[in-house]
Amino acid sequence: MADIDGIGSTRPGHYGAQGTGVVLARATIGAAWNVQGDPRHAPFVAAAERQVGLAPVAQPNACARREGLLLLWLGPRSWLAIEGERTALTDADVARDALNAAGGALFDVSSSRVAFTLRGAKAADVLASGCPLDVDVRAFAPGTCAQSVFGHLNALIYRHDPATFTLMVATSFAADAWHALSVAAAVDGYDVVPATPFRP
Amino acid sequence: MQKFRLATGGDIDRGHPVRFEFNGAPLEGYRGDTLASALLAHGRHLVGRSFKHHRPRGIFSAGAEEPSALVQIARGARTEPNARATVVEVHDGLVARSQNCWPSVRFDLGAINNVVSRLIPAGFYYKTFMWPPTPAAWLRYEHWIRRAAGMGRSATSADPDRYDQRFAHCDVLVVGGGVAGLAAARAAAGGGARVIVCDETPRWGGLARRGASSVPIDGAPRGDWIDTCVDDLAGAADVTMLSRSTAFGYYDGNLVGAVERVTHHLAAPLPPFAPRERLWLIRAKAVVLASGAHERGIAYPDNDRPGTMLLSAARTYVERFGVRPGTRAVVFANHDGAYDDALALRDAGIEIAAVVDPRDDAAMAGVDVRRARDAGLPVHARSLVLRAHGGHRVHAVDVAAREGGKSQRIDCDLVCVAGGWSPAVHLFSQARGTLRYDEAIAAFVPDASPLPIVAAGAANGCFDDALLAADGTAAGEAALALARAASPSPAAVARPPRAPGAAPVEPLWTVPAPYGAKRFVDLQNDVTVDDVALAKREGYQSVEHLKRYTTLGMGTDQGKTSNVPGLALMAAELGTTIPAVGTTTFRPPYTPVTMGAFPGAHTGPHVEPVRRSAMHAWHASQGARFVNAGLWKRPHSYPRTGESEDDAARREAINVRRNVGVVDVSTLGKIELQGRDAAAFLNRVYINRFDSLAVGRCRYGVMLRDDGMVMDDGTTSRLADTHFLVTTTTVNAVRVMQHFEYLLQVAWPTLEVYATSVTEQWSAAAISGPRARDVVAALVDLDVSNAAFPFLAVGACRVRTADGEVRGRLFRMSYSGELAYELHVPTVHGLAAWEAIIAAGAPFGLMPYGTEAMSTLRIEKGHVVVGAEADGRTTADDLGLGKLVNAGKWCVGKPLLGRPALVADDRWQLVGLTAQHGAVMPRGGKLVADPDRAPPIPMQGHITSWCESPHVGAWIGLALLAGGRARHGETLWAVSPLADQRVRVTVGPPAFIDPEGTRLRG
Repeated sequence: MADIDGIGSTRPGHYGAQGTGVVLARATIGAAWNVQGDPRHAPFVAAAERQVGLAPVAQPNACARREGLLLLWLGPRSWLAIEGERTALTDADVARDALNAAGGALFDVSSSRVAFTLRGAKAADVLASGCPLDVDVRAFAPGTCAQSVFGHLNALIYRHDPATFTLMVATSFAADAWHALSVAAAVDGYDVVPATPFRP
Repeated sequence: MQKFRLATGGDIDRGHPVRFEFNGAPLEGYRGDTLASALLAHGRHLVGRSFKHHRPRGIFSAGAEEPSALVQIARGARTEPNARATVVEVHDGLVARSQNCWPSVRFDLGAINNVVSRLIPAGFYYKTFMWPPTPAAWLRYEHWIRRAAGMGRSATSADPDRYDQRFAHCDVLVVGGGVAGLAAARAAAGGGARVIVCDETPRWGGLARRGASSVPIDGAPRGDWIDTCVDDLAGAADVTMLSRSTAFGYYDGNLVGAVERVTHHLAAPLPPFAPRERLWLIRAKAVVLASGAHERGIAYPDNDRPGTMLLSAARTYVERFGVRPGTRAVVFANHDGAYDDALALRDAGIEIAAVVDPRDDAAMAGVDVRRARDAGLPVHARSLVLRAHGGHRVHAVDVAAREGGKSQRIDCDLVCVAGGWSPAVHLFSQARGTLRYDEAIAAFVPDASPLPIVAAGAANGCFDDALLAADGTAAGEAALALARAASPSPAAVARPPRAPGAAPVEPLWTVPAPYGAKRFVDLQNDVTVDDVALAKREGYQSVEHLKRYTTLGMGTDQGKTSNVPGLALMAAELGTTIPAVGTTTFRPPYTPVTMGAFPGAHTGPHVEPVRRSAMHAWHASQGARFVNAGLWKRPHSYPRTGESEDDAARREAINVRRNVGVVDVSTLGKIELQGRDAAAFLNRVYINRFDSLAVGRCRYGVMLRDDGMVMDDGTTSRLADTHFLVTTTTVNAVRVMQHFEYLLQVAWPTLEVYATSVTEQWSAAAISGPRARDVVAALVDLDVSNAAFPFLAVGACRVRTADGEVRGRLFRMSYSGELAYELHVPTVHGLAAWEAIIAAGAPFGLMPYGTEAMSTLRIEKGHVVVGAEADGRTTADDLGLGKLVNAGKWCVGKPLLGRPALVADDRWQLVGLTAQHGAVMPRGGKLVADPDRAPPIPMQGHITSWCESPHVGAWIGLALLAGGRARHGETLWAVSPLADQRVRVTVGPPAFIDPEGTRLRG
């Protein structure tokens, strides 16, 4: 799916203009869960923390972290737990039952999204070429997330630090999203490195 | 040899000559020149031919408002029409040529239009081309009109350049980098704001970037002040400076669109991967509009001859580009500021043959006028220019006293007009700002806007150079306050600062002229003073009608130098005031924007997003031909060598009925529901009951819209007491999810139900055919005998794949009417599971099949499809699903389902059709009793789906037919008037195979 000049290729290497404005990589997702429920209902919060490993946060766009596990706010009653290696939740049905009994829900969405990491001096500029959010570090703080678009794709974005973002899109759009990132990154030059498990 | 280049001066880089080509002639200029300044340096004034009359035209301005000097630049895929020579930056290898002329600009056959110009005044085409009154005659006229209309030529191959896009946010956006804009930006930045400042030119400082004769700012020479300000801004951390960037439009929510020309000015080879342009979408908390003002001309006979230009433009060519646009000039001006400009021209060595001013001596008492007189400039007060002489170049003008009397001819090769200034208020007006006509300066200035935008400098009606910086600073501070305000209130624009004792401007829009003389108002569209009068006589008196009837202001310059004179002339015609006539609506873009800048990278194969299943690459490797299903790509069929798609689809369908096939159904919508009230929720959205569905079972369900019509259908499974999986059609997946979200959040917020889309989570394959059980048994760890896993059973399972054993879900349901299973695995294992199916199926004759075969199979079975049979106008009963509507419960759509029209006997009902005598079913066929009847022929129904059926051995179809269920056995005609086809068909039940369903349940 790469263009004639290699833009859009997934093979590790350098592409685009001279210099490396950003490093692009696939971040593999080992497990992902959509947790839903009312955060004001204590039994739900307790069940979620016990089954998933982190308590859902009520603050919009806030995230909770623990070792390799990240919990992202998706809405007033919805969160996404994700990790690069599957460690939590060995028995999904038992966890689901526990959440249902506590008035909430737990859905396995491990394959629903793919993740790409942008890292480097131009990471914010590359993101800003497709995302209408204010990507200034004062407006989009490290350790927070946001739901927006990148080009014409819905995207969930997590900022690790001032120069590192992870962009998540629906799996079926993987090729499109990678191509869009590559084209945006080509202007200032980018490197592709091999895929590694997602790390918050 | 640049005969008209001044020995020194100008902001050009004389150390870097550049070579370019104009009309095939090689010429030389300097880096920093525009095409216009470089041509003037060579004494070339004849640049093009006007739109309608094909009159010789030259260079009128020095900026984006240029109406005449339009050229075609570059060649091949990069060629661009209507480029303004006053804006194009010369570089090595630039190729430009005149447009709208043939065979050359010097000798243009189109000039015949000028000879017959009396026959083609404004609006002539509304009264001509009407005879003979036949379409054929019009089409012949149109052919020639098309060839005559338009100016340049567009490229005919794909744009080879990249275009980038950038979203940006700031506290204060300053549009315009002249003195006022720079001052505003520095004031806002000084207050700690995030600032973006943009200017359409390559340089900062605006019109004030001139030689030493200009007024100093804050005690410093003008150039020094500008340089210091630019350094301050460039060094500030939160300031972004965008040159060569035009802010072209103001949109909702304080979004300003700007386009940055990144590589237009660079010679080949361009930096690889550099975008040609970048579209900036800037969200600003407050905007300062420091976009300057445009000078106006004065309409006198033959005021369009090459060598006629705006006085400020002549000065810009002298001081910024070091070019003398002529040797002997006549200045026609009506305000004091023009005299300073005239002196500047004189200082550059241009002889001023006359300064013609319509005002009384009493009104001409200002200091600049006195300086000019003292310097010996010949000033003709109370006088008018009555006409210009010349063809390809002006060579003289006639000047006379206002009252009349004998005129004198004055030789000249340059005429400089200075009719006053019009603030560039476009973006202010787009920001829903109102304008006010300021009589003292004879100009429309910004009045008030409900949005946080303030005007500064000449855009604010401040034409006094000494006051620009202060006005800009005040605007910057006001914008900063607006940006910081918790809830910004509309800004009242400060009155433009006025120098004490400045005399009011006496506007002069035109001069008296004999009949037939052309006094041009809109140079680009050849609109004259007489055309304005004609519009008024014909009844087109509002300013919007004036514009459309005469085309004044409709060219690529959008009337920047002509709108105000035009409406002022109409005011005089109507005997009313200028504000009473008003201005036309300002719309983006301010100047033309390359089409490619808007889609950016979303062109060609990327114009729409594309969704691919996990098995996509496998399908492609097997030669699948893809079709679009919404945004998804699905295999239509898998043609083998020598096979057409239709052959392949037929082979695949036959194989499913005979052996077994597998089709990728990953694209179907899947929604999981959990929660105590999940079953109750499903009861409310489906026509049938789901609380009675046992765990480990699935059931076909139909959803209605609020108006009772069928919206979607699918199979819903119960995975646990409080856990369901709903499936939908591919194209309705998002709509159904939105429907659920709306119901749960708005209609029934007390229900404890949680929903999430899992369309992406599960890859799905449907294995169908008499040998399907054998294949599935070889793959999963479940007992799939009929007793253990009957029709409509659902179960978790483990699937043997090359990735190891992966967990999955198995469903026994059938779309084809054969024994069938659906196997779901997490998408990350989708390809591995598919390959395992292919391998397990090999001994049983398994073949993959695509949407075409799938369609044939389901038509044979009589399954309805959303979009074809369920087209939004059909009820469940129409489709033969009336028995599914559970009488004992409410559901969405149930109340309106009882409307009399929806339960009438003669409704169109689902039937099957078989074409007789081996005929091909017509596409889009309608059902009639007698096709030979005189029209209108009563239509009794239409065909919704059709195919060639291998099972039946004939073309079949599903159709909706009035009272169809009672008409099995009838013969009708299926006709397609568009294709002139007619076929006899027999009406029957919609199921053509296994109506009892024995194959499904075995």
